[in-house]
Amino acid sequence: MNAEARHARWSPDAGEHEHVVFLVEGMHCAACARSIDRAVRALPDVVDVRVNNATARVSVQWRGHGPTGLPQILGAVTGAGFTPLPLAGVAATAEFQRERRAALKRLGLASLGMMQAMMYLSALYGVSDIDAAMTQLMRLAGMVIVTPVLFYSGAPFLAGAWRDLRHRRLGMDVPVALALLLAWLPSVVNTLRGSGEVYFDSVGMFIFFLSAGRFVEMNVRHRSLSAAEALARSLPAQVTRLLADGGREKIAATLLRKGDRFLVPKGAVVAVDAELDACAAEVHASLDESLITGESAAVTRGKDERIRGGTVNLGAPLMLSALGSVEDSTLASMVKLLERAQAARPQIARAADRAASWFVAVILLLALVTAFAWWRIDPSRAFAAVLAVLVVTCPCALSLATPVALAAATTRLARLGLLVTRADAIERLARVDTVIFDKTGTLTGAATGILDVKLLGAMPRELALGIAAALERGSSHPLAEAFRPFETATLQAATTHELDGSGIEATIDGARWRLGRRRFVEELTASTVTRLVPHRASGTRLYLGNEQELVAEFEVGVPLRGDARETIDALRAMGLNVIIASGDSGSTVASAARALGIRNSHARLSPHDKIRLVEELRADAHRVFVIGDGINDGPVLATADVSCAMGQGSAIAQSASDLLLVHEGLAILPRAVSTARSALRVMRQNLAWALVYNVAAVPLAALGFVPAWLAALGMSLSSLGVVLNARRLAAAGRA
Amino acid sequence: MSISYLLVVLGLAVLAGAIWALFWAIDSGQYDDLERHGSDALEDGDKPK
Repeated sequence: MNAEARHARWSPDAGEHEHVVFLVEGMHCAACARSIDRAVRALPDVVDVRVNNATARVSVQWRGHGPTGLPQILGAVTGAGFTPLPLAGVAATAEFQRERRAALKRLGLASLGMMQAMMYLSALYGVSDIDAAMTQLMRLAGMVIVTPVLFYSGAPFLAGAWRDLRHRRLGMDVPVALALLLAWLPSVVNTLRGSGEVYFDSVGMFIFFLSAGRFVEMNVRHRSLSAAEALARSLPAQVTRLLADGGREKIAATLLRKGDRFLVPKGAVVAVDAELDACAAEVHASLDESLITGESAAVTRGKDERIRGGTVNLGAPLMLSALGSVEDSTLASMVKLLERAQAARPQIARAADRAASWFVAVILLLALVTAFAWWRIDPSRAFAAVLAVLVVTCPCALSLATPVALAAATTRLARLGLLVTRADAIERLARVDTVIFDKTGTLTGAATGILDVKLLGAMPRELALGIAAALERGSSHPLAEAFRPFETATLQAATTHELDGSGIEATIDGARWRLGRRRFVEELTASTVTRLVPHRASGTRLYLGNEQELVAEFEVGVPLRGDARETIDALRAMGLNVIIASGDSGSTVASAARALGIRNSHARLSPHDKIRLVEELRADAHRVFVIGDGINDGPVLATADVSCAMGQGSAIAQSASDLLLVHEGLAILPRAVSTARSALRVMRQNLAWALVYNVAAVPLAALGFVPAWLAALGMSLSSLGVVLNARRLAAAGRA
Repeated sequence: MSISYLLVVLGLAVLAGAIWALFWAIDSGQYDDLERHGSDALEDGDKPK
């Protein structure tokens, strides 16, 4: 397999445009990101470039059929001085391992070297009774230790600064490398001369703190990758395809096409979206969808139901027929959406980037001014002050402040089953004050179920349901679906016949039973029921009876989701105004609203009415969050400030919504809002911290109050603080 | 006092040894996965590889 084929690329409109996302090694700051952006944009036919330095991803979209292709794009990145890496699969994992090992070695060498150098050189601090030969030996030892630390552990910073200077730009590494060399070079000269100050211990400590910061940063980046990565890696590489003549062959999963029949053994992962084959013996498949939805309970899929790629077969071996290739599967679409979101940089981060690059220029200028001023006042202190100014400032805290928070929040939400498809959706979600639910498919499920059972005789509820299920088995009537979960092995109906529009009659253990409309069942029982109390129904009523009596009344319909009430209560407890906007009839909407305790509900809305409702709310300065089923309410979703769709199948890749609920449940929505709010809070804290730190530290350093070691510690802690503050978001998600 | 000269040099040798040991451990994959091995004991041992 050649290098280009390993890259995750796809074409949303059949070759018209092409899209690729890849990783870039050696990108740490905003200046690097901008130079990659510029290099790729310079190519003809490139439509869109997004570079995210927190996740080290680059996303490029270009017009196909032109002079530009993937080799040219990768070439441009290489030309700018960076190494592009494929994102998908094993290759990326190997890259991670290599990067991690190298970073560990640099950190390990720096920490051992720093400790030992400190041990020797601190002996010289303020001690006068050490003889000159001993002093000289200690300094030599310090040089021997710190020099390899500088050129091995500090190599990324030196290389980064060199690359920046060669491309005539100011990156974060420039002041860092300048400070390192400024401290190291005179120390070597002084050691060899045998007189003057040495700063080896400061150099060692500085490199150690910097490497530790980079190491933590790298771990955060790897972890944010692993959400999408885990999805992509879980697909099987090979499948067993059934040939038309009944033979079997093992082929690569990527070769599966729509309509192919293939086998999935017990415990194996389904490679592509598929359905049970028409000639398969099984009627149901028992599956674990936890990879896709995060929900670990087993689900059952009947014939004609989509079995999503990435689910695990829990039951007997299945014969499936593919609904598309690996590229079209739900899982592949999810991975692409995640990639797209993580490659993009939101507005707020871009502003911080621009600030950070100016910042470096200002710092270099300030260092010059400091040098000049101290030269006039007290030349002996000039050097230490300049060093402190260069070291203490921390543009990286500024440019990392928002992206790390967003990456952590996106990862947490993905783990909960909510995909963030647009980078700035989290920021907008945090500011929402009104939530609009479409009813069908969101507050209610898509499938029919039994809303209510009223027992009319002495028969227990389970038995009544079991008999009804036995009668409905094999029926293709839409309402029959509702009874499927209650089927039992012991109750078997014989001589079933179905009367269209009335109901079903069958015999169970010799007794005649009917299930259907009241009049149809009453013909059999030859009795009428007087105990029935009229009630407001939101579904269809079915009756069950035998030759003696009417046994039960079932109310069948589309039930509210089990977690709808709890979700809406939680949203309201967060101070959000909840509204139902539905196209359904007044009574259904009203009964749903009553059951959920929602006062503000609108029924019989056309899609146009819904849009107007959203627009009116927005005109009143409300920020509106719309949750729809994503199929027929695309325009409404696009009107809202933030939108969430219930995602299913490959359609999710084309979805216009900002958030996608992969999970069949709403309970995650309040958590999503609270995660978004904490993410915004963390971003603000981070920006404020970065600003306050730099504004406070630089004058102190310039005035000569900050020794070199404290400057190194402050700089590393301030960028570590930003990263760790954001990590709280991801950590909270695991609880 | 002259013993301390030797100690400085000895310290450097020990440091070199420690660095060599650390690099060896990293290269042989000791730090690649710090989480999985903790739960290995909970897995069934008879799973065919």
